Amino acid sequence: MCECECNCIDSLKLGQRVPDFEFDTYEPAKGDFGTFSLVSQMEKKRWTILFFYPADFTFV
Amino acid sequence: MGCDVVTVSTDTKFTHLAWREHEKELARVNYPMGSDPTGKTGRMFGVYDEGSGLTLRGTFIINPEGVLLGSEVNFYNLGRNIDEMMRKFKANIYLAKKTNEACPSKWKDDGDKTLVNPGAKMVGKVHEALNG
Repeated sequence: MCECECNCIDSLKLGQRVPDFEFDTYEPAKGDFGTFSLVSQMEKKRWTILFFYPADFTFV
Repeated sequence: MGCDVVTVSTDTKFTHLAWREHEKELARVNYPMGSDPTGKTGRMFGVYDEGSGLTLRGTFIINPEGVLLGSEVNFYNLGRNIDEMMRKFKANIYLAKKTNEACPSKWKDDGDKTLVNPGAKMVGKVHEALNG
């Protein structure tokens, strides 16, 4: 852990089991909101590619 | 291929809906668009920028056992190459089945040359292994 007084957490390292996480989603295939969770991916035995980007309505 | 692509930004799911339904460039997007407004997931992956409240351009490959196998992060002004993302994904799928092999830098797809049983005998002889 870092020694500064922020509440930072160690970020993940390759080869590490990712802690469970989930977030709300918009699912265009269903035209509705949903939830994505790592636990659910593991239950379905699916690979996941998480693709972070800065902001909607921008350009790159 | 047994894989789900999920995009994530700190926008809300409502903004995702509006963007997806408005922007014609996204007409073929059918994968879930994730919402991380508090930056909780972005912080876990080390891509949340506290100063801007936005997430950097990070791509992470996680296997069905929940292990992180790939990571690429770019700054805001550099887009990622999707062909490279698919190449790395295919390589990961291949290597999950062929645990005694390695994909060299020129590997692009199933059928390309791999390094089989890299070990003491291959030390100093990688050229022969790739071209033999």
